[in-house]
Amino acid sequence: MLEVKNLTVRFGNTTIINDISFSVSPGQWLMVVGPNGAGKTTIISAVSRAVPYTGQVLFDGTDVQRRKSRELAQCMGVLSQSHYVGYGFTVEEVIRLGRYAHAPGLLTGGRDDGEKKVLDAIEKTGLESCLRQSVLTLSGGELQRTFLAQVFAQDPRLLILDEPTNHLDLVYQKQVFHLVQEWVKEPGRAVISVVHDLSLARAYGTHALLMQKGRIVSVGPVEKVMTPEHLNAVYSMDVFAWMQNLYGQWKTLS
Amino acid sequence: MKHLTHFVSLLLILCLLAGCGNKATDNQTPSQTETPETAETPADTKTSDSQSQEESVKPQAVENGAAVTVTDMSGRQITLDEPATRIVALTAADCEILYALGAGDTLVGRGEFCDWPSQVTEVPSVESGANTNIEQIIALNPQVLLMSTMAQTEEQIAALENAGIHVVVSDAQDIEGVYEAITLIGALMDKNEEAKAMVSGMQDAFAQIRENSTGDGSETVYFEVSPLEYGLWAAGSNTFMDEIARMLGLTNVFSDVSGWAEISQEQVLQRAPDYIVTISMYFGDGPTPDQEILSRAGWENIPAVQNKKILNLQNNELSRPGPRLKDGAEILYDFVYGE
Amino acid sequence: MVLRFCTILCTENRFDPIMSAESGFFPLRTCFLQEDLILKSNKRPESFRPLEYLIFIAVTTAVMLLCVCVGSVMLPLKDTVTVLLNALTGAGFPESELAANILLPVRLPRVLCVALVGASLSLCGGAMQGLLKNPLADGTTLGVSSGASLGAVLAIAFSLSIPGISFGGTMLSAILFAFLSLALILTLAYRLDSSLSTNTIILIGVIFSMFASSISSLVITFAGDRVKTITFWTLGSLQGSSYENALVLLGTLVLFGGVLLGYSQELNAFAVGEDNARNIGVNVRRVKLMVLISISVLIGVCVSISGTIGFVGLVTPHMLRSLTGPNHKRLLPATLFGGACFLMLADLLSRTLLNPRELPLGVVTSFVGSLLFIYIFYTSRKGD
Repeated sequence: MLEVKNLTVRFGNTTIINDISFSVSPGQWLMVVGPNGAGKTTIISAVSRAVPYTGQVLFDGTDVQRRKSRELAQCMGVLSQSHYVGYGFTVEEVIRLGRYAHAPGLLTGGRDDGEKKVLDAIEKTGLESCLRQSVLTLSGGELQRTFLAQVFAQDPRLLILDEPTNHLDLVYQKQVFHLVQEWVKEPGRAVISVVHDLSLARAYGTHALLMQKGRIVSVGPVEKVMTPEHLNAVYSMDVFAWMQNLYGQWKTLS
Repeated sequence: MKHLTHFVSLLLILCLLAGCGNKATDNQTPSQTETPETAETPADTKTSDSQSQEESVKPQAVENGAAVTVTDMSGRQITLDEPATRIVALTAADCEILYALGAGDTLVGRGEFCDWPSQVTEVPSVESGANTNIEQIIALNPQVLLMSTMAQTEEQIAALENAGIHVVVSDAQDIEGVYEAITLIGALMDKNEEAKAMVSGMQDAFAQIRENSTGDGSETVYFEVSPLEYGLWAAGSNTFMDEIARMLGLTNVFSDVSGWAEISQEQVLQRAPDYIVTISMYFGDGPTPDQEILSRAGWENIPAVQNKKILNLQNNELSRPGPRLKDGAEILYDFVYGE
Repeated sequence: MVLRFCTILCTENRFDPIMSAESGFFPLRTCFLQEDLILKSNKRPESFRPLEYLIFIAVTTAVMLLCVCVGSVMLPLKDTVTVLLNALTGAGFPESELAANILLPVRLPRVLCVALVGASLSLCGGAMQGLLKNPLADGTTLGVSSGASLGAVLAIAFSLSIPGISFGGTMLSAILFAFLSLALILTLAYRLDSSLSTNTIILIGVIFSMFASSISSLVITFAGDRVKTITFWTLGSLQGSSYENALVLLGTLVLFGGVLLGYSQELNAFAVGEDNARNIGVNVRRVKLMVLISISVLIGVCVSISGTIGFVGLVTPHMLRSLTGPNHKRLLPATLFGGACFLMLADLLSRTLLNPRELPLGVVTSFVGSLLFIYIFYTSRKGD
C-alpha cells in the first residue's frame, strides 16, 4: 500500500531522517517508536508532503508527489499532533471538512455519498451531543475526537496518526486506540502511528518501526522489533525492568 | 519574552495609529503648492477693511545713526547695530519682498519652498516650517532670521539669539499685514524709501482696482486650491483671495469657511459660482487645470463653466503675502472685467 | 465574544458516557463557557439562504438610498426620487436642474465607488483572516495597503502610464507592490515563526507598513512639486469618483472577488489550520497563491482609486462573524454587503459631519478601526 524508499529529510545542514525505507500493507498497524528527536514525526510530515524530502514515497505504486492533493487525501488521512482552531467553528463544520477531498468538483461531477460517512464518524466518536458546539469551548479530549471524526469522515484507506493520545487522559487513550483498532479491521485499511507509550505500541500494533537519530534500528512484526535488546540499546536503559517494575506494583493492589 | 513581544507590538500599533492621526491633521493645511507657513490661517485679531490705508503705514523703524530698531509682527523689539546684510528668510513671501526691494543679494539662505523670482533658487536652501533646522541656519551665519511664526521653542530661539542671530517675525494675515511686512523688512535693510514706494504702489493699484470694479457682490467666485483628483480644497474667508475678491466686488462662494479647507463637490455645484480661479500647478501632461475643470461631470451647468470663466494662476500670485498680490489682483481684474 | 472563565463541577453527563468516566478522574473541570452557546445551538446553515440574501440586499439598498438622498447639499426627497426614477426609466429632466446635476454625475458614482471599495476591502480582510487564521489580519495591519500605496507613488513619481487607460500605470504598479509586500511579509513571518502566530505576523506587518510609508515619504521628498500632490491622495479621496471608476472596481470585484468566494471552503480549512487544510486534501500552495493574488489585485485597484482607507477589512469581517459564524461560505458574502454598508455610512459621515467641509474618509474608518483593533487585541490576549 505505502512504500517508502531511501527517504532523507534535511533542514539546513541537519539531517533529520537519513535514508530510510519501509512499507505498509493492508491490515497492518505500524507503530513508529523511538526516543525524542529520533525523527518520528518528520516521517509523517514527509509522507504527507508537509516538508521537502529526497527519496520516494509511493502509494499503490505511484509517487505521492505526482498525485493531486485531493486524490491523495481520498486515500490517505493524517491526524496531526496538535489542534489549535482560530475561530469558533462548530464541531460539525470541522468534521464535514473531512469530506473536502470527495466533494464533487465543478467539472468532475460525481455523487458524494459522504452524508453516511459523516454520520458514521460522528456516531463512532460519540460526538452527537456537541455537534453545534464551538470548537473553542471543547476540552482537549473532545477536540481530539473531533479531528479523529474528521479523518474518519475523510474515509481514507491509510490512516496516519501523530501521537494521537498526546496529552489525553487514560479514558481517551483507550477510546482512541479502540476506535482505530475497530477501524483498521475493515479490509484494505492500514494505520501508521507515532506513539511514545511503548506498552500501547506493543498492545495495539501489528508492526513496529524503531528509530534512533534518524535511522531505522529495526522494522517488522511488533514482537520481533520491540525486543529487550533493541529497546535497551535505543533508550540506553533497561526498559523492560523499569516497565515491569512500573506495572508490577498494580498487581499487589488488586 | 513573550510578554515583551506583546508589549512591543502594541506599542508599534499605537505608533501606527498615531501616525494616521498626524496625517489627518497635516491635511488641514494643504502643502502641495505652498509652504506650510504661508498657508493662510484665520486671522485672529486683525481686520483689514476697517482701517484706512494711510493710517496703517506707520514708521516701523527709528534710525539712530547706523543702528536700526524695529518692532516685528509679534510685537518684539529688535535692535540691529547696522542694517542687515546677511539674511535667512524662511517664507517664500519674505524672499519675494527682499528681491522686490532690491536686496536679493543679502539673502544667504532661504526656506525650501521659496521659488520666486527664479534666481532665489540659487541661494542655499534650509528646511522650514515644522522641520526648521536651527543648526542649518546657524551654519549660514546670518544677522537676521525672517520667519512667519514662532513655531520654535523658547530654547531654540534662545540658541539662535546666542549665536548672534536676530529673529524677526513677519506674519502677514491680510493685505495690511503685507504692507507692514514690507515696511518692516525695508527698515531692516535700510531701504525705507523703496519700501514706502512699493507699499504706495500696491495701495494705488488696489485703489484703482477698487474704483474700476463695478461689481456689487452679486457675482460669485470660487477659488480652487486643490483639484478634484486629490479632494477639492477651496479658499474661504480670511484669505488673500477672499480679500481681493471683495476688492473686485465679487463674493467668495466659500466665505462661510475659514482659511483653506476640503469642501464638498456638491457644494460647488449648489453654489454655482460665476467665476472659478484655480491655483493648481500644471505639470505639463494631461489637460491643463482649467481644461480639467471644464471637463468635470456635473459641472456643465455652473455659470463659470458655461461661460468658460475659469482662470488658472500658476505662480502663487494670490496665495502669498508678498508684492505680487498686486499682479494677482490685476490679472483677476482683467479676467473679470476684460481688457 | 465574551468568554467567561469559570470553574464548574461536572456532576452530570453533559455529553456522553465517557464524560461520566472523565468526571471520575477529574471531578473539577475547568472550561470556557461561551455565553451565547445555548442561543447558537440551533443549526447554522452551510451557506446563505435566499431569505438571508434578501435581508442583506435590502439593508444594503436601504443604506445606499440613504447615502444617495443625504449629502452635503440637502435635496428635497421628491426631487431625488424623481431624478432617480427618470434616470432609471430613461426619461429626461430639465438640463439645469440642480438635483439632477448633483445626484447623477457626483453623488451616485461616489456612493457606488464607496460601496464597491468597502465590499472589496472587507472581502480581502475576511479572506486574509481566514487564510492566515488571524483575526487581526487586514490590508492595513499587514502593510499591504502601504505597499500598494508605495507602488502608486512610484508610478506617479516616474510617470509610469499605460496609454488609453486612465491611471492604468498607477493601478498596475499598486497591484504589483501589494503582491510583493504580501509575499515579503509572509516569507519573513514564516522564517521567524513557522506557526504564523498572531503577534509575529502583525508585528512584521506594522513594521513593514512603516518601512513602506517612509520610502513613500522619501520618494515624495526627492521628487519635487509634482509628487507633493500625492501626499494629499495617500489619505484617500473619493471626491471625483466617476462611473468609469465604479466600473473598474465592479469588474475587479466580480473577477477576483469571485475567486475568493470560490475558495470559501478552502479558506474554512485554512481557518481551522494550514496543516489541517493539507491533510484534508487542499492544494495548499495553489490556494494560497490564488488567494494572495486576488487580494493583491483587489487592494491595489482600491488603493489606486481611493487611496488607503484603513481598517475596513478588519472591522467588517469581525462584526459579521458573530452574526454568521466563522464559516466563509456565509461570512464572505456577508462581508461584501457589510463592507459596502460600513464604508457608505462612514463616507456619509465624512461628507456631512463638518458641512460644507469634508473629512477625509480614512480618518473616519481609522478612528473606528483602531478602537476595534485594540478591543480585539485586548480580548484575544485575555483569552489566552
